[in-house]
Amino acid sequence: MAAISPQDTFDGNIFSAPLVHTNSNRFSCVEPDYKPFIPANSLRRMTRVLKIGLTTALKCIQESGITTPGPIVTGTGKGSLQDTERFIREIVQYEETALNPTPFIQSTYNSVNGLIALQQKCTAYNNTFVHRGFSFENALLDSMLLIQEGAAHTLTGAFEEITAEHFYIKSRIGCWKQEPVDSRELYTHLSPGTIAGEGAVFFTLTGTPTPQSYAAISGFRMLYKPTTDKLAAALQAFAPEADLIITGCNGDSNHAHFYETLDRSFPGIPQLPFKHLCGEYDTAGAFGLWLAAHIIKDQQVPQQWYPTLPPLPAGINKVLFYNHFYGEQHVMILLERVS
Amino acid sequence: MSERVFITGIGMITAIGDNVAGNLQNLRLQRSGLGYSSYIDTIYKSVLPVAEVKQDNASLFAMAGIPETGGYTRTTLLGMVAMREALQHAGITDVQSAPTGFVNASTVGGMCDTEKWYFDIINPEKEGDFIQYIDTLDCADCTQRIADIVGFSEHIATISTACSSSANALMFGARMIKQGLLPRMVCGGTEALTRFTLNGFNSLKNIDKQFCRPFDQQRTGLNLGEGAAYLVLEGETFARANNSRILGELSGYCNTNEAFHPTSPSPDGDGAYEAMKTALAMSGRTLDEVQYINVHGTATLNNDVSEGKALERLFGTEVPLFSSTKPFTGHTLAAAGAIEAIYSLLAIQHNLVFPNLHFSERMEELSITPVTELMEGQSVNNVISNSFGFGGNNASLVISKYEG
Repeated sequence: MAAISPQDTFDGNIFSAPLVHTNSNRFSCVEPDYKPFIPANSLRRMTRVLKIGLTTALKCIQESGITTPGPIVTGTGKGSLQDTERFIREIVQYEETALNPTPFIQSTYNSVNGLIALQQKCTAYNNTFVHRGFSFENALLDSMLLIQEGAAHTLTGAFEEITAEHFYIKSRIGCWKQEPVDSRELYTHLSPGTIAGEGAVFFTLTGTPTPQSYAAISGFRMLYKPTTDKLAAALQAFAPEADLIITGCNGDSNHAHFYETLDRSFPGIPQLPFKHLCGEYDTAGAFGLWLAAHIIKDQQVPQQWYPTLPPLPAGINKVLFYNHFYGEQHVMILLERVS
Repeated sequence: MSERVFITGIGMITAIGDNVAGNLQNLRLQRSGLGYSSYIDTIYKSVLPVAEVKQDNASLFAMAGIPETGGYTRTTLLGMVAMREALQHAGITDVQSAPTGFVNASTVGGMCDTEKWYFDIINPEKEGDFIQYIDTLDCADCTQRIADIVGFSEHIATISTACSSSANALMFGARMIKQGLLPRMVCGGTEALTRFTLNGFNSLKNIDKQFCRPFDQQRTGLNLGEGAAYLVLEGETFARANNSRILGELSGYCNTNEAFHPTSPSPDGDGAYEAMKTALAMSGRTLDEVQYINVHGTATLNNDVSEGKALERLFGTEVPLFSSTKPFTGHTLAAAGAIEAIYSLLAIQHNLVFPNLHFSERMEELSITPVTELMEGQSVNNVISNSFGFGGNNASLVISKYEG
C-alpha cells in the first residue's frame, strides 16, 4: 500500500507521525519529493494530481515487491481538475486558437492510468472508474473480479485533488461548512457541510496471502441511495462480525442520520472516524480502507491521530469500514486479519 | 463453465438516426451524418465538420420523456433517449422486475453545458439558474440522472477510458454477469459534442477540415461526433428463464494497454493485436470465422497505421472484410464502443457489411483496403468491434450470431 494524503503518510511511520490539522476547511496533501519516482523532464509537465497519483502507484509497486506488472484499475471522481480548469480558461483566453494540448490530454480521466502503464511498461488490463463515491469502490470490485478470473495481482488505487476554484464551486451548493472549523473538532461541530480534502492511495491486491499482506477483504457491499431501512438491513448482515468500525463520519448534519443508523446497528462496538485526517472527497474511501488495513495488520491505532480514543478490543480481527458520499453512494467493506 | 452473455435489447441515437431503425436506414443509404454544427458555440462552427445529433435539447427532452427542467445536460438527454429505446426493445417495463445493473461511460460528462456557464459558476457576483448545472460536470452526473429516472438501484458504475470507454462498460457488465453478481446489465455510453473536446483534438492537430477518410492514404484526422447507445446484457440462465428475445452474443472481449505514449498507439499495433487475438480466443471462434471487423478507424495518421498493422499481423493475407463507420457518426468518443457494438449486431442480424465512406486510396503502409460499398446478403456470424483510446487503452469485443 502507499498513500499521499494531508497527513504524513508517504514516508516514515504512521504510528508516530504527528496529527496534521487545518482551520481552512480545506485539506491539502503533504507532497513528497517526486524526483526519486519521476524523471525531471516529465515532472515539469505534470500537474499535481498526476504527480500524486503516479508517485503513489510507483511506491505501492515498490513496497509490494512485485516485479511483473499486472492489471491497473483506478477510481477518480474528478480526475485532473487543474488541467480541466486550465483548458476551459485557455479556450476563452486564447479565443480557441494556438492552444497547448497538454492540459486537454492530462484532463482525461484515464491519464494517470496511462502514465502508470507507460512507466511500468504494463500492457495488461487497464481501467478507470469515475463515479463519485463509487469510483474507488468499483475499481476494487473490478480488481476482485480480475483476481477471480485468474490475475495473480492487481494495482488498484484512487486519486483526487481539490483546487481553490473547485472548492469555491462546491461551496455554492453547500458542500463545505460555512464557518471555519478546526479539523480536530470536525465530529463535535455538527452543522451543514464538511471540510474538503484530497489524496491518492494505491493497493496491491493478490488472490492468496503473502507475508506482506495487510488484511483480507471478506465482505463488500455498495448501495446507491438506500432508504434507512435498506441501509440498516445491509449493515446488519455484517453485525456479528466486526470488532472495530472505521467510519466516514464527517460532521455534516445533512447526512448524519446514516451514521446514526450505523450506531444503532453496532451498539458498543468502538468506532474510529477518518475524515478529520483527510477531509471529504469522492475517493476518500480509499484512505479509510488504507487506514483500516494498517490498523488490522499492526494491531494498533495511530493514537496521536486520535486525541480521544475509544477503548479498543484486545485483538483487532475484523474491521468493518462504512462510508458514504453525500448520502448517495454507500459502501461497506469487511476486512479480516491475515494469520 | 461460466454464463454466456446475450444481448437482448439495443437503443441508440447518433447523427444518422434518433433510434436503431433510423441508424440502420442511413447506414444502408450510405448517408453520412457529418456536417457543420448547429448547437456548439465555437469559432470552428463552419470550419470543422462534426456529426451532430439532429435534435435540439427541447426535442431531446420530449424524446427522453422528461419534463424540460434545469440541470439536465445534453449528455444526460442523449443517454436517456438511447436508454428508453434499449429497455423498450428488451421488453423491460420496470428495471426493478429483476436485479439490473447499469454501467455507463462518458469522457467529459456534462461539459457540454457546464462549459457555457463555467465563468458564471466561478464568479461570486453572479447568481442565476446556471447554479442548476453546477454539479453536472463530472461523468457520474449523467449516470445518476438516468439511473434515477429509470430506477436502477442495484449497481451503478461509470467508466472513462477515453475512446474505449463504452466498450469497457460492456466488458465490465459482461464480467459481472459471468461471475454471478447480477443477471442483467445495461451497458453503454453517452457523449455530447463540446467546445472543450473540439478544441482539445484540434490543438492536437487531429481534426480533419474535410469529412474524415479512415484507412485512406490522404487521411488527415478525425471528425468528432455525438450520440449515445446502450445494450441490455443478460446471462444465459436468466435470459432463458425470462424468455428473452436473444439478439446476439457477446462472446469475447479483451482490454489491453499500449504502454507506448499518452496519446499515440504503438506503430505496429501491439495493443490492438493482443486485444483482438485474446478477445477472439475467448469467443472460441477461429480467425476464419470472423466475417467482419468494425475497426476503430478514426482516420488519424497514427491509429489507422497501427490498427491496420495489427489486422495484418493477426489475419495475415486473409484479413476479413473491415470498415470504419466513423464517417457516418463521427468519432463519438465514449459512446463509440457501444454504437459500434450495435452496428456489429446489425451486420449479423441483417447480413450486411457497411461501407467505409470517403475511401479512395490505399495506405502505403498497408496491403489491405476497407469495404467501400454496402454489401448486402453477406453471411455475418462473428464480428470484432475495436475501440482504442488515449492513455493506451485498447478494447476489442467479439459479437456473435445467436445459435442456441
